Formats: sequence, C-alpha cells, structure tokens
Amino acid sequence: MSTINTFIEKFNEAVDFQEPVEVTADTKLQDLPEWDSLAALGVIVMCDMEYKKTITGNDLAGCNVIADIYKLVS
Amino acid sequence: MTQSTLHNIRFKGLTTCVPERTLSNIEDCPVEQRSERERLVRNIGIETRRVCLEGVVFSDLAQEAGEKLIAGLGWDKSSIDVLLVVTQSPDYPIPATAIILQDKLGLSHGTVAFDINLGCSGYAYGLFVLGSMLSAHGLKRGIMLVGDKSSNPLSLDNGLLSLFGDAATATALEFEENAPPMYFNMGSDGSGHRAIIIEAGGQRVPIQPHHLERLPGADGISRKGTDVILDGPSILNFSIREVPASISGLVEYSPFSLEDIDYFVLHQANRMINETIRKKLGLAPERVPLSLKEFGNTSSASIPVTMTTKLLQELGAGRKRLLLSGFGVGLSWASCILEIEDAYLPALIEI
Repeated sequence: MSTINTFIEKFNEAVDFQEPVEVTADTKLQDLPEWDSLAALGVIVMCDMEYKKTITGNDLAGCNVIADIYKLVS
Repeated sequence: MTQSTLHNIRFKGLTTCVPERTLSNIEDCPVEQRSERERLVRNIGIETRRVCLEGVVFSDLAQEAGEKLIAGLGWDKSSIDVLLVVTQSPDYPIPATAIILQDKLGLSHGTVAFDINLGCSGYAYGLFVLGSMLSAHGLKRGIMLVGDKSSNPLSLDNGLLSLFGDAATATALEFEENAPPMYFNMGSDGSGHRAIIIEAGGQRVPIQPHHLERLPGADGISRKGTDVILDGPSILNFSIREVPASISGLVEYSPFSLEDIDYFVLHQANRMINETIRKKLGLAPERVPLSLKEFGNTSSASIPVTMTTKLLQELGAGRKRLLLSGFGVGLSWASCILEIEDAYLPALIEI
C-alpha cells in the first residue's frame, strides 16, 4: 500500500486545493469540491515528471476514483 | 522536425510596447472569487497583466513600437525593404494589417508587407521568414511587428481571463556579411488545431446571431462562439512533449551544447508548463527568465517581452547567445538560436 500512499501524497501536492480534504484510494474525483481543470493540469504534470507517464485529459475523464489514476501510472 | 541555418543576418534591435493599464488577477476580481483566484495565480504564476483600453487594438501598440524602433536605429524609412506583421489580432479580416501599417509608419511603396497568422510560436517563425528573405540577397533591412491583443475582459472564463496580456513588439533585422548564423527548428501538428480555437467567424463556421450570445459549454463555462476556447490538458501534453524535444534537437543540430547558451527565452505559457519544460531540460532558473508574473501570457510577443523586461542589462553587456522557443496555437512550434550584440534595446514602452 505504500506506493499508492506515495501517489496520494503527490496527488494532494499536485492539485493544490485551497481547502485540504482527506483523500483515499477510493475517493471519487467528482466528490472533491476543488477537482477542476487546474487540478487536472497539476496531476498531468505530476504523472509525467514523477512516473514518466503521459496522461491525457480523456484518460482523466475516464477515471472515477483516485485509484483509477494510480492504475494509469503503475 | 525541420532544421535550418540562416547566414548573414544581424539582430539590430527590439522595442516592446504594452498598455499602461495594469490589471491584478487577485485584487481586480470579485471578493467571493478571491480564494479560487489565489490558487490559480499560485499555479499559473500570473499576478498582473497589461490590458488595452476599450478601442485600442494590437496595431496601435505595434505602430508605437515600430516608430520607436525605426527612430532609435536612425534608419531612413525609405531604406526598409520588408514589414512583416505576426499577429492573430488583425485590424480587419482583410486586408492584412502589415499593409495598413506600411502607410501609418510612413514606409515607402516599395515595401514588401504581409501578415503571418501565428500565435505563441510566431516570434521564431517571424525571425525565420524575415531572415530568409533578407539572406536571399537584394533586400537589406526588415522590421517585424509581433504580438496580439488577447485579453478579453468581458469573458466569463476564469482561466482565460487570468491568462492573457496585451503586447506588441518591433524587431529589426539587417543583412550583414559574416554575422553569426541563426539556427532554427520548426514544426506543426494540425491534428491539434482544436486545442486553441475561436470556433466562429471564419468560412468554416460563419457568424450566426447565436454565436454572439454566451451559451454554456460542456465544461459549464459560458462563452460566445467568437471567444477563444482552450483545451488545457491537450496544450499541456503537447508543450511538455514537443518543446524539450525541439530545444534538444536544435542544440544538437547547432554547433553548441546546452552550456554554450546564455539564456533560454521560452514562450510564456503559464508557470506550470514553463517550469516543467525547464526541469525536463535540467536548466537552472536564472538561465530561463520569466515575465509571466507581471505580464501574463502575451502570445507571440511573450519572448520579446521577456527579453525587454528581464534581460535588458544582460543583452547590453557584450555578446549573448540566446535560445528562443515558441509553442502553442496551431499546434505549432519553433525554436531559434541567435547571438545578440550591440543591438538597440530600449526600456519598455507604455502607452
């Protein structure tokens, strides 16, 4: 589980929410009040720089929970 | 990837003109949006932008920049052979803005004048086109006016509203035997043409009355058909894939290494994109100046705006080798290595 926990840490940093919220592997993106286009850009950069994976806007649109994004980079 | 070398072209001078009117992304927004804006500013790195007053257009700024440049160089107007305008903010759909400015700047009827319709990649493309014309012999002096009025203060798109600033720049090139070569690397990917687009107003989608109403899009933001739509993730993916490759490819093609370049002046897209490109190339921040914080994304003007506002002293102190790289709408990209020495580089012009 340590790897998804590391991913969640990086996710939280990347989305840079004004009001930090508790995020777990099962958190639905749509339930995050500040999940928006800016957060998506942050996550794309993070996946590219930290995991060397190119994630597109369509890839993210197909993700329901945080673990779905993690699957794309692992 | 297309690469090319231009010989016998000297970079003679650069002027940059911006509107005096300064808007703050945080202070000049409704209080209820402030928190959201703070987060946006932190990530795109843009605090203030210069925005034209109602009725002022790109060519007004360009004319000012052009007049200052010609006067500062002491060039006889009849000696200017080419006037190139690189903009996506023309005065009219037709005729070309360059031809209108030939007259307004008092240049001769012998002037070769035309527009290039490019945005963020336009500065290096302009240098290539103008430099190629001059290096073909026969023509001696050329001016290019580069920039856009991209601000749209009435937009309801928060991202767009905080991003764009207005600016125009004037650059002078001259044929000079044995001037240091300029190296170019350019590319295009029209499969991404929808990533930055104004849908209505051309012949594909003629303007209809409903294009002038703000209607909600798939992302919930209301826009007119004549507003710019940005596909952020596509632009980001394109920029961080193509730009480091273009820069590395150009350096490899040139006789230089990354260490031989004094400054890397990139199109000022947003901080997230620019910082990612910088980190991918492994460059120290001091070698990659940013003007985003004060001027925002000024489209094709962003490279010269950065040179004028961040490198004026350095460029005035002996020969400097720069790598310029523009990328964006099209999708289109162009990078260039050039040397600047003893050029006319006055301080920022504000009108």
